[in-house]
Parts: sequence; structure tokens; C-alpha cells
Amino acid sequence: MVELSTALLAIAAAFVVFALVALYRVFVGPTIHDRVIAVNVMGTNTVIAIALVAAAFDQSVFLDVALVYALLNFLLSIAFSKFNVEHGGVL
Amino acid sequence: MPVDDSVTLRNTVAYVVDEAKTAVTDGPVELHFVDIASTRSVDPDAPEELAEASELLERVELWVEEDLGEDPPAGISVETAVLGADRYLFSPGDYADAILEYAADVGVDRIVLDPEYSPGGATPMLRPLQLELTRGDVDVAEAPVERRTETTVLTRAASLPKYVTVFGASYLFYMLLSAWKPLDFLTGFLTATLAAVLLAPVAFSQQPSVVRVGKQLARMLLFVPYLLKEIAVANLQIAYVVLHPSLPIDPEIVELRAAVWGDAPVTTLANSITLTPGTLTVSVSDRAFDIHSLTAGSREDLFGGSLERAVRFVFYGREAAAIASPRERGDGGEGQDG
Amino acid sequence: MTPVEWGIVALALLGAFFGGVAAMGIFRLPDVYTRAHAASKSDTLGAVLTVGAAALALQSGISTAKAVFLLVFMFLTNPTAAHAIARAAQDQGIEPWTLDDEEGET
Repeated sequence: MVELSTALLAIAAAFVVFALVALYRVFVGPTIHDRVIAVNVMGTNTVIAIALVAAAFDQSVFLDVALVYALLNFLLSIAFSKFNVEHGGVL
Repeated sequence: MPVDDSVTLRNTVAYVVDEAKTAVTDGPVELHFVDIASTRSVDPDAPEELAEASELLERVELWVEEDLGEDPPAGISVETAVLGADRYLFSPGDYADAILEYAADVGVDRIVLDPEYSPGGATPMLRPLQLELTRGDVDVAEAPVERRTETTVLTRAASLPKYVTVFGASYLFYMLLSAWKPLDFLTGFLTATLAAVLLAPVAFSQQPSVVRVGKQLARMLLFVPYLLKEIAVANLQIAYVVLHPSLPIDPEIVELRAAVWGDAPVTTLANSITLTPGTLTVSVSDRAFDIHSLTAGSREDLFGGSLERAVRFVFYGREAAAIASPRERGDGGEGQDG
Repeated sequence: MTPVEWGIVALALLGAFFGGVAAMGIFRLPDVYTRAHAASKSDTLGAVLTVGAAALALQSGISTAKAVFLLVFMFLTNPTAAHAIARAAQDQGIEPWTLDDEEGET
């Protein structure tokens, strides 16, 4: 029988693989927006992976890392979209 | 007023119309908007520039109509013209000559300049142009407008409920992330106070009211299961589309004029549209939503208006939910091919 | 493992499925708008399910509260980010892909 923590770690690994698939889109583009979307998805997957690792090791400190990562991930997309458009006005 | 595409053009037009409205009480007012062409009409790229110029002037005319409102005061007339297509214009002096000539022709007694006016491309020419224009015997003024991004009303008068709400929310969030040691209560208090002092004036568009927010939250609870069902359907659809070998999609951008008002409802509707089957809000201006739809079927659902109705129900209550759906309002979705 | 733990794993696996759909969507779909569909919907649901599973797996109350907060936060921000990017793309005049484009290519 597998332990719960092992299963959670395996699923976290799956999310890392999905992030790598998204990394392909970051490389290929073709437009800058495709890359940003892909980076956003990678960031989301990273947050999920961190949350799963936190659950697997029962370390709530990792959740703080995940929270800050999620905040930064959102900020990245918004800031990028905002400054990529002339004179702002995205949100 | 000489016009050229700039960030403050819209506000300058608004200012000019405003001035005209006050001046019209003393007699009829004629507004002239001129675009100055930098190339001669015989040059190869002139047709393109002239087309752009007339398009810009048309836009300005529409703005003027918009600013004059539903019943425009009598006595205001609008003229537009493209100048300088008969010669090369190099220096600010040339531009000033062209403008003054036109001003003398039609009898303009006041020239208003857009503070970001720069017809010569990247080179700033507002100051020299202003100087040159004063050679003529007309009144020259720079419109007192700020850049649009700075004029939006961001700060509103703060009040005690606002401070309390921001303080409470910040303190709760801080304590959620803290380790519940005695020192954390103190630092959290200080941080929350700082956040409340800085952010309370900008955080709300209207007074927070426990009753209204409570009612909205209660109705939100009814909305959530409906939204969850829609989200589940949306994801199964995406999964089907993405995993299908032939990628069966038919994307198109459609426009929807939604019957919701205010920041929070519009945001909720936009995010809900994004989360529900096959639709993604691309841009929102006031009430006009540009929505990218993945398949033809999702467009049908969108104009059926059930989601819009649900959002209205959450924010305004039962009566507002009865407003007709977009299709019944005659907004069958422009841009939809057959 | 207990039945509860099996439930947690099932939830996380379902989330992983939608995370995979999002990754495949980013990989396969033809333009930025359609990719934003995948990023906003599938990835959000994948995140909500998986972080929900993590919240259940965490034992102490405060950690679960944090995980739930993370879940709500991602639920709100993911569609917003996708919307912002799509809007930036539209502002820059990027045309959406349509069926005609494909017919033109083949």
C-alpha cells in the first residue's frame, strides 16, 4: 500500500511535468502574450506543487511560500499586461 | 483646435466643448478641428495619411456629439478640416502659418492647444508652436487637462466604516499568516493600522454597509452552486475540445452589451463569463463586453443571458433579475456569421 | 490508507487531470485567446481541486485555513490574469484565430 504523502508527492511531480509542457509554449511563443499565459500557467502549477508538498510533509510554512508565489504570479501577469499596453489602462 | 492623436486629445475635446457650452450663451459658437498633414497630397504615402486624418476628425466629431449630450444647446456648430496638404511643413513656424492662415480665413478668435500635441512625430513642438502662434492676433491657450490616467477619481473621502473595514480585513489576513505569538498581535495591529490609513480612501466606491453586503453575500451563496455547475460543464467541454484529436473549435469575438452597472457587478460578471463554458472576457469598457467564444454553442448560451441575470440577482435582488436577456434586447451578437 | 485519504488522492488526481488538460491546451490550441481559455478555466479548476485536497490532507486548523485562502485567492486571480493578458493582446491588435485561418493553411 502506498502512503498518502507518497501519492501527493507523485501528483506534485505530475504538475511539475505539466509546467514543463507549458515551458514549451514559453519557448515557442509566437507572441509575447502566449509566453506570458504560459508563464502564468507554470506559476499556477508551481503553487499547486508547493501546496501538495506542504500537505505531504505537513509543513504549513510551505503554504506561506505558496501564497506569496501565487501573489507574485498574479502580479506578474497584471504588471506585464499593464505595461505592455500604451499608457496603461488594463485594469 | 489643431488635433493629432495623443493621450490627452479626448480630454482636450471635452474641455473645448465645455468652453463652447458656456460661451454659447453670448452668441453662436463655431468649433473648428483641424488636422495638419505633414506630407503633400502628391507624395506616395499621402493617401494613407489623409485617410487617417479624416478618420481622426470623424472620431473627434463623435466625441463632440457625445459631450454635447442628449439635447445639444442651439448655436454650436462643428467644422473639421485637413490643412497643409498643399506644401511641406517643417518647422513649428510652418505649422503656425498654416493654422493662422486657416484661422484668419474662417474667423477664429481663439486657438486651444492639446498639451500633448506633437504632429511632427517624436519631436516636441508645443512650446515653439505656441510662441509662433502668438504672432497672429488670436488668443492662444493650452487646454488645462491632465493625462487621462491621472484624472480618474481614485481617492474618495474616507469615513470611519471604511477605516474599520480595511483595518479588520488586514488584521485578519495578517493573523492568518502569523504564528499567533504575542508579538504578532502587536505587529499585526501596526501593519493593519498602516494599511487602513493608506488604503481606506481608495478601497471603496461606496460606503460599506453591513446590511447590503450581507444581503449580497446571502444571494451570492445561491449563485455559487449555479456557478460551480457552469464551471464543471466548462471544464468538461474544454477537456473534450483539447483532448479531441481534431481540435473541434470555432472561435470568434462577439460583443455583448450587458445590463449590469458598477465596478463589482461588472467584475463579477466578467470573471463569471470567463469561468463558464467556452467564453472568455477579453475587454470591458463601461457595459460593453468583448467576449471571445470558443465554440458556436457557447455564443448561444451567452446571449441567452442566464448568467447575466444571475449576477443581477446577486447584486440588486429579485426584481432586477427580470430584465430581458441580451437577445430579447435586440443584441443578438454582432460579428456572428450566420 | 483510510477512505478519507483515498478521497483526498482521488480529488488531487481529478485536479491533476484538469491541470493536464490546461497544459495540453496551452500546447495544442492555435492562438493566444484560445490558450487563455485553457489557462483560465482548466488550470483554475485543477488548482482548486488539488489545493482543496491539500487542505483536507493538512491536519492542523491554521494550515487548512491558509490552504483554503490560497484556493479562494487563485480562484479569483486566475481568470483575472487571463483576462488581462487577453485584453493586452487585443489592445495590440492581435487577431483571433478562426476556422478560416486553418482552411487557408491547408
